Amino acid sequence: MRFTQSFAPALLLLAGVAQATSWGFDDGSVSVVAKRAGDAGSKERFTSKTLVTKPVSLGSTDTLKVSLTAKDNGKGKRPHQAFVILKEKETGLEAPFPLTVKESGKAVVSITHKDLPVQFLISDEPLEASIILGSFGSSEALNAPVFDVKLQKDPNVPLPSYEKPVRYGKKEDVHHIFRADPTSPPKVISIFFALAVLATVPVLLISWILLGANLNHLSKAIGAAPVSHATFFGSILAMEGVFFLYYTSWNLFQALPVISAVAVVTVLSGTKALGEVQSRRLAGER
Amino acid sequence: MLRSTSPLLSLFAFLLCWGAALVSAVSITGNRLLAIFDEVGEKENYTKFLGDLESRGFQITYETPKSESLALFHLGERAYDHVIFFPTKTKGLGPNLTPQILVNFLNAKGNILQTLSSTTTTPNSLVSLLAELDITLPAERTGLVVDHFSYDALSAPETHDVLALPPPAPVRNDISPLFSTGAPKDALLAFPHGVGAVLGPREHLTPILRAPKTAYSYNPKEQAEVLDATDLFAAGQQLSLATAFQAINSARLVLLGSAEMLQDKWFLAEVAAGPNGKPVKTFNREFAKRVSAWAFQELGVLRVNWIEHHLNEVSAVNKSNPHIYRVKNDVTYTISLSEYAYNKWSSFSLPANDVLQLEFSMLSPFHRLPLSLDKAHSTPEASAYTVSFKLPDQHGIFNFKVNYKRPFFTNIEEKNTVSVRHMAHDEWPRSFVISGAWPWIAGIGATISGWVVFVALWMYSAPTDKKMGNKKTN
Repeated sequence: MRFTQSFAPALLLLAGVAQATSWGFDDGSVSVVAKRAGDAGSKERFTSKTLVTKPVSLGSTDTLKVSLTAKDNGKGKRPHQAFVILKEKETGLEAPFPLTVKESGKAVVSITHKDLPVQFLISDEPLEASIILGSFGSSEALNAPVFDVKLQKDPNVPLPSYEKPVRYGKKEDVHHIFRADPTSPPKVISIFFALAVLATVPVLLISWILLGANLNHLSKAIGAAPVSHATFFGSILAMEGVFFLYYTSWNLFQALPVISAVAVVTVLSGTKALGEVQSRRLAGER
Repeated sequence: MLRSTSPLLSLFAFLLCWGAALVSAVSITGNRLLAIFDEVGEKENYTKFLGDLESRGFQITYETPKSESLALFHLGERAYDHVIFFPTKTKGLGPNLTPQILVNFLNAKGNILQTLSSTTTTPNSLVSLLAELDITLPAERTGLVVDHFSYDALSAPETHDVLALPPPAPVRNDISPLFSTGAPKDALLAFPHGVGAVLGPREHLTPILRAPKTAYSYNPKEQAEVLDATDLFAAGQQLSLATAFQAINSARLVLLGSAEMLQDKWFLAEVAAGPNGKPVKTFNREFAKRVSAWAFQELGVLRVNWIEHHLNEVSAVNKSNPHIYRVKNDVTYTISLSEYAYNKWSSFSLPANDVLQLEFSMLSPFHRLPLSLDKAHSTPEASAYTVSFKLPDQHGIFNFKVNYKRPFFTNIEEKNTVSVRHMAHDEWPRSFVISGAWPWIAGIGATISGWVVFVALWMYSAPTDKKMGNKKTN
C-alpha cells in the first residue's frame, strides 16, 4: 500500500510526460487550381516531417489551396491557431493566412496573388510556407516548414507599384562632381607657335635693314632737340614698362595715374620732337 | 574656437542647466508627472515602478479621469511635463482628456506613456489619439496577444496569455540597442495579458518590442473558441507590443501593450519560456525603467554644444565661422554633441553601423559626407565630429546642414548658412603658367618690340639711295 502510495504520483508524472500531447496533422496537401477549366493543376502531399521537394509554382490567376486535418495527439480536433505562414526569405517578411478549421480538424485555405502583400509580388525569391498549429492547454504547438512557393508573374500584368516607406536612417553619400578643369593643348605645339610668332621680329628687322633702314639722323635729331627727343623716346619705353608692371603686379588704379603722367610727358615732348622731325622733312632731308 | 552662440549666453545657459541638475537629477524637460488611474487606489499595484520614478526625481500627481480639477494646461502653459495612462474602465476620458488636448500636449513637448491591458477596453479618447499617430489597435478596442510557443509556463500553462520574451534587440542593425544593452543573456521579459498594435508606415514610429513570429492577437470575448480566418487582426512580428513615437518636436509617446508588466508582481516573478524553459527572474524592472526613462526624456536626448567651420587652407586667415567662402575652398566643419542619460550629459557615440552626415546643400545637397570622431576636440562630456572637404564649384547661398534624425534619439536639425562666391578676377592662374597662352604672350612681345623699333626708325632713319619708287618703276 505504501509502495503504491509513494509510486502513484510518480506514475502519474510519468504518464503525464508520456501524454505530453502535441499538435500534428494528417492529409496535408497543397494544390494549385488554375482559373481556366481543363487545366487540372497539380497536387502535392506533405506531412510535418516530409517537405514537398519541388517549389509549387503559383500563377497570377491561379489559386493555391492548402488543406490538412489537424490532430491533437492523433485525434482530429480544432486548434485555436491554424496558420499557413508565407515568408519571404531575403527580407524575412512574414504573412499569416489563417486556415478555416472545422470541428473535425479539417482545415483549408486558398491563397491567390491578390491576398499576398506587395513586397512578395515584387520579390523574385521563392516564398517559404510553414504550418503553425497550436491551441490553449498543454499540447505542444507545431511549427513545421512544408513547401516553397514560386510566384509566376504574368508579363502582361504590370507589377503593383511599391514605394519603400520613409525610415529615419543614414542616407547615401553624395559627392559633388566637379566640372573638368580647362585644358591646354600640348606644350610642344604652344612652344612651336610661340617661337614662330617671335621669329617674325627678326624677319621684320632684317627686311627693314635690307630696305635701307638706318639711324643716321639720330645725331642730327639729338643735336637739334636733345631733351625732347630723349624724353619722347624714353616716355614711349616707359609706357611699355607701365604696361608690363600692370601685367605682373599693379592693379588698374595704380597703373592709371602713372599712365596719365607718362602720356602728358609723351604729348609735351612729342610736339617738340615731332616738330623737329617735320623741320627735317621741310628741309628736304627726308 | 568660436562658439555658435555668444560665450556669455552659453555660460549663463550652462549655469542654469547645472543649477537645475543640482536641484533634481531628472529628465531635461521637467519632473512634473501626472499618473492617471481608474481609481487612485490602483497605484498600490505599481509601488515599485512609481517608487523608481520618484527616486529618479519625478514629482507624481495621481488623478482619475473623473476628477474635476484635472487639466493638462494651465493658462496656456503645460501644467505637467509627462503623463502616464494606466488602464481605465471608462469608455471616454471626459472633457479634460480629449484627443485634441492630448495632441496639443504633444505639440507643447509633453510626453505620454500609455499602457494598455487586455482586461479593460481602451478609452475612445486614447484610441483616437493613437489613430492620429497611425497606430491601430484591435477592433472593439480590446485584444489579447497569445503565443502557443513562448508563453510563460509557470503562470499561464493553459491560457498562454503571458508571453515570456527575450529583451528586445533593435529592429535594424543601425539603431541604438537602448532597451537590450546590459541584459543578462537568458533574461526574459514577462508580457502578461497584453494588447498588440499595428503600426502604420511612418518614420516617427519605432517598435520597441515586437511579438514573436508565432504570436497572434484575438478578441477573448468573441473569438475565444474559434478564430475566424477573416477576423485575424494581426500576427507575428507585425504586432508591436511596445511602440515608440517621437514627434518632429521630439515629444515622445510610448504605447506599452501590457500595463501589468509594470506591476510589482511581475517585477519579482520568475518566468519560463515555453513548457521546457528554465525559470528566470524577469527583466521587467529594468525594462520598465528604460521605457519610462526614454518616454520622459531621460534617455536618448541629444544636444548640440557648438558648431564650427573654417577654411582649411595653408596661408589662409583661419577665422571661425566666416559668412563667405569661395568656390573650391577646402573647408573643415566640426559639430559637438552630447547625450543625456538619467542625470548627466556625456559624450555621444554613434550606434554601430550608423553615421552622422553633413550635407552641404543649396536646395538639394551637393555633398553628403560622413563625419568622423575628432578626438582632439572631444571631452568626456561632449564628442566632436568633423569632416574636411572641398566646396563645390558652384556659387550661391549654401547651408551646412546636419539632419540627424534617428529612432530613439531626439531630432537634430542644424543649419548654418554661408555664401559661396565665385573666383575673383585675380584668383585665377596667371596667363604665363597656362601653356596655351604662350603664343599670345609672344605675340604681344613681338608687337611691342616691333613698335619701339618702328618709332626709332621713323624718327631717325635717313633716306638712302635705294629708292622704293625706283623699284616700283622698274
